[in-house]
Amino acid sequence: MTERMFDVVVVGAGPAGSAAALTAARAGLSVALVERGPHPGSKNVYGGVVYGRVLDELVPRWWEQLPAQRWITRRSTMIMTDRQAVTVDVRAEAWGGPPYNGATAFRADLDGWLARLAEEAGAVLVPSTVATGLLRDVDGMVRGVRTDRPDGDLTAGVVIACDGVNSFLAKEAGLFTDRDTAQHNSLGVKETLALPREVLEDRFALRGRDGLDMEILGCTRGIPGGGFLYTNLDSISLGVVVGLKGLADSGVRPEELLADLRAHPSIAPLVRGAELKEYTAHLLPEGGYDTMPELVGDGILVAGDAAAMCLAAGVWLEGVNFAIGAGMYAGRAAVEALARDDTSLAGLAGYRRMLEESFVLADHRKLRRVPGLVFSDRVQQRYPALLCDLAEEFFRVDNPRPKPGLGRLLRRTASRHGVRLRHLLSDAVTGWRSFG
Amino acid sequence: MSAALPALDAVAVVVVRGGELPPGADESAAEAGAAALLVGDGTEGARARLSSARTVWTVEARLPDAGVLAEVLAPLLARVHTVLLPASSDGRDLAPRLAVALDRPLLAGAVSVAGQGAEVLRHDGRQLVELAATGPFVATLLPGVRGAEPADGDPVTYRIEARWPDAPGGTHTLGTVAPEAGDTPLPEASRVLGAGAGLGGGTAVALLAGVGRILGASVGATRAVTDQGLLPHDRQIGTTGVVVDPDLYLAFGISGAAQHVGGLGSPRHVVSVNTDPHCPMTAMADLGIVADAPAVLAELARRLEAPHD
Amino acid sequence: MLVAAAIRHADPGAPVDPLTGAVREDRRPGRASDAGPAALEHALRLADALGGRCVAVTVAGPEADGMLREALAAGAHEVLRVEGPAQDGAATARTVHRALLERHGVPDVVVCGDESASHGTGATPAFLAARLGAAQALGLLELRAAQGALHAVRRLDAGRSERLRVPLPAVCSVLAGSVRPRRAPLPAVLAASRSAVPVVTVAPPTSPEAVRTVAVRPYRPRPKVLPGPSGDTARDRMLALTGTFVPRTPPRVVTAAEPAHAVDELLGFLRSHGYLEQGG
Ligand SMILES: Cc1cc2nc3c(=O)[nH]c(=O)nc-3n(C[C@H](O)[C@H](O)[C@H](O)COP(=O)(O)OP(=O)(O)OC[C@H]3O[C@@H](n4cnc5c(N)ncnc54)[C@H](O)[C@@H]3O)c2cc1C
Ligand SMILES: Cc1cc2nc3c(=O)[nH]c(=O)nc-3n(C[C@H](O)[C@H](O)[C@H](O)COP(=O)(O)OP(=O)(O)OC[C@H]3O[C@@H](n4cnc5c(N)ncnc54)[C@H](O)[C@@H]3O)c2cc1C
Ligand SMILES: Nc1ncnc2c1ncn2[C@@H]1O[C@H](COP(=O)(O)O)[C@@H](O)[C@H]1O
Repeated sequence: MTERMFDVVVVGAGPAGSAAALTAARAGLSVALVERGPHPGSKNVYGGVVYGRVLDELVPRWWEQLPAQRWITRRSTMIMTDRQAVTVDVRAEAWGGPPYNGATAFRADLDGWLARLAEEAGAVLVPSTVATGLLRDVDGMVRGVRTDRPDGDLTAGVVIACDGVNSFLAKEAGLFTDRDTAQHNSLGVKETLALPREVLEDRFALRGRDGLDMEILGCTRGIPGGGFLYTNLDSISLGVVVGLKGLADSGVRPEELLADLRAHPSIAPLVRGAELKEYTAHLLPEGGYDTMPELVGDGILVAGDAAAMCLAAGVWLEGVNFAIGAGMYAGRAAVEALARDDTSLAGLAGYRRMLEESFVLADHRKLRRVPGLVFSDRVQQRYPALLCDLAEEFFRVDNPRPKPGLGRLLRRTASRHGVRLRHLLSDAVTGWRSFG
Repeated sequence: MSAALPALDAVAVVVVRGGELPPGADESAAEAGAAALLVGDGTEGARARLSSARTVWTVEARLPDAGVLAEVLAPLLARVHTVLLPASSDGRDLAPRLAVALDRPLLAGAVSVAGQGAEVLRHDGRQLVELAATGPFVATLLPGVRGAEPADGDPVTYRIEARWPDAPGGTHTLGTVAPEAGDTPLPEASRVLGAGAGLGGGTAVALLAGVGRILGASVGATRAVTDQGLLPHDRQIGTTGVVVDPDLYLAFGISGAAQHVGGLGSPRHVVSVNTDPHCPMTAMADLGIVADAPAVLAELARRLEAPHD
Repeated sequence: MLVAAAIRHADPGAPVDPLTGAVREDRRPGRASDAGPAALEHALRLADALGGRCVAVTVAGPEADGMLREALAAGAHEVLRVEGPAQDGAATARTVHRALLERHGVPDVVVCGDESASHGTGATPAFLAARLGAAQALGLLELRAAQGALHAVRRLDAGRSERLRVPLPAVCSVLAGSVRPRRAPLPAVLAASRSAVPVVTVAPPTSPEAVRTVAVRPYRPRPKVLPGPSGDTARDRMLALTGTFVPRTPPRVVTAAEPAHAVDELLGFLRSHGYLEQGG
């Protein structure tokens, strides 16, 4: 066998890839980190909130280095209809200091920072280079990747595929058993709206570097999905994430949804006068646990969005933390396997085990029913209206008539929205099992 | 035969080729207070075409290397405070060399030039920087940014016999090549389809040619497209490309940068197909269609080829 | 024989604040701007044809190291990063010139890109030619070496072009679409990824600046002067000026959900303005 060029080749310098490269390089392995864009993060899009707890293991006191825009101290969930909105607003001052909870950050900043850490640990970043295929030996074992450069083969002991949603490498490795992935993809569209810093802080009742993270349900004309509004230092990220299939069936254009949201009576005052700076769109996997590919093959591991590890369900929009976690464990599994000189499926099996024991798969398993629930017609269409009506009626003062009891209001509103109490109950149980 | 220009606030220096004025010649002359120096071959004919100058100096010559030309012109311009050139190919070639020969700063790519300085465009035309010079300076003016008012009557003309070096070195012209012959030369086309970066790539651009044939329109493009080599450079509309003046301009995926619009003349009708409703091209359009340009083009091609019924 | 490629490092998408005109200059590794890769490609070919060495030079901060390593991997014999003034073409040319002299001696050919996105004046190569006492040929569509000189096709206005013979020493600037830049082979990229990038610092001139920046704003087009109206009578001229009898529809922006809808709008517009036969 010819000498391999690297111990590990990581494809994709997103959060997953950089975490994998960092972990492997720190353990003394030779690592190549192949990235399509001219610099990490150059082509990547996301909403803007990163939950840093997962970094504790990788970067001690990461909050002193993370290129954060604002620290999340307010988390709101807004449920809306065309003309109504009910908001649950959580404010935790403690999140605004070490060890922090979440932060808004720009992707180019975040990805650049993580990739730099990997480089400092010894990984070789190979930018402007696309992995175009897998190299295999006679037994079908993955031995590296092919790239679009002349003489572009990169041989390695282990390939870690972190190439994002619709991973080409995971597909080529035959790790996706389910071919129909379009069903499980969502489209995220996002606008960055600039506001002067003082105006933004006044409007959102924020101080210093405090920030708001708002998830929105019921803003997608019944297309399965949700919206978000995040605050950066002097701009707002406003976006919607909708299921591709629902979007295609509805014939609605994603910009229209975004325009609706921008014009909604609860959102319009928040973004008034803001200048549109950027409009971006990106796919993300939404199906969760049940749509994940095999995570391990002979000589190959899959991590992050490439393995559908994004949690995009209703009140959550988390992918970066899962990607970082998975990348870290993939790095560790590669280190262990190479130490034992067994990079076969069996030798790399430690990856799956580490994921199962950590939040990465634990959360996903626990929340496996959530995508189905959140994307159900009831949650998407009827519950927001029901809840908003309920709240509206509950708080309406109808003197001289006496206030109706909550139970009666609920029955009345539910039947008006065609929701059976039986279904409400069963959804509540699913919800409780997942979230409780 | 006076040797040099008098002390003037400003003069436009315009390089003439075969009696043709470059784009922006009239604007530069107007910006320079109706004074122009024409240099090149066919200055007499060019003078007749220049409508915005009241005083004209001509230097008839076969154009030498820009460095040589600058050395010859500099002594003539020593007493002129602001030397202004249109930012055409030859203007951009000569202006830095004139600045060096006159030992003055160059304020390049201006949209307006006044007294002590100029407003220049930077960052692909998105940023305007106001510059002030401490003394006399040379500037280039982007064509198409100001328009020009015609001066009345025939201009006063002075011919200058310049002294040329015996054996000028430098770049030597072997010949001029006319633009590739299309159906209608772009500058004369009354209908133009414009291809921009938003059109995506080669296939869509090729489709545009077909649609153009059916609509009787010529195909032009932005620099973003010609830079990618998707269309030859002589299809580039704009201040550094071809200047057109059609009745109808259909822009597909074009943002409407100043350097592009500067070459557009004043079309009677403009349609812009763009995903960004706020882009300048859509803002100046009679009809702005917010849609995916390649998809619209494909559908348009399909519909136009459909038989009548 | 020394062939230099002067390339500018840029973030092509550097956002300009629409309200203030301020540019968020990105200190992130980006890439060569616009015509940079084309300039390097031509320089590599010329060095090959003339039997010389090719050096890629840029005036930029350390964020440009990646771009220079890419040049090294693509075949440049050496690279040089220069720290020094580069606020305009004259300053950039001075800085590049000094750094080349200090490190490599007088170049026989310098290939530049056409206008860079951030400056966009195309003046740098002309200033360089002046400093080197070299022949200049700017805005080239083609460039090759033949019989100890360069042969080039230069873009002129209105789609015309001219063929040139450019003696050495020469400074040329090439258009982005003039050549397809090569991709650096992967082994070379890996080899270059750790190589140190030599840096030369050029001090700013001691003479006072002849140009001062007064203000930075977003660009708003200035009103255009139009030629006076034509017409035989005062009334005709007045009508022409005010456009009284010129049919005009107010500008309209429509969002089309479907391409078909967009085409309906488009064809409707063309028909109602007489560009297509009714029903055609
Ligand atoms: C609109 C939107 C909003 C979101 N909001 C949030 C949020 O607020 N918080 C959050 O935590 N998550 C959010 N997410 C999800 C999050 O962005 C992803 O889960 C996360 O980026 C996954 O990281 P990754 O490293 O797996 O993949 P990616 O970030 O997609 O990185 C993949 C990398 O691989 C590179 N690549 C791909 N193919 C190749 C190839 N063949 N060769 C070489 N390189 C290749 C790409 O250029 C890219 O750099 C959002 C997603 C979207 C679309
Ligand atoms: C000195 C100098 C001289 C120049 N001279 C010229 C010149 O002569 N001519 C010239 O044209 N340019 C010239 N330029 C370049 C000019 O500044 C602009 O960069 C160029 O015109 C932009 O071309 P564009 O509109 O195609 O691309 P972009 O500015 O990138 O715009 C693309 C547009 O397409 C839209 N879009 C994207 N995707 C889609 C989609 N799927 N469907 C519909 N729309 C979509 C976007 O919203 C955007 O508006 C010059 C620049 C400089 C610095
Ligand atoms: N900072 C720089 N470093 C090296 N070359 C440069 C630099 N700036 C401009 N150039 C060269 O000069 C050309 C024209 O740039 P400009 O004069 O800025 O329009 C560019 O395409 C480069 O080839």
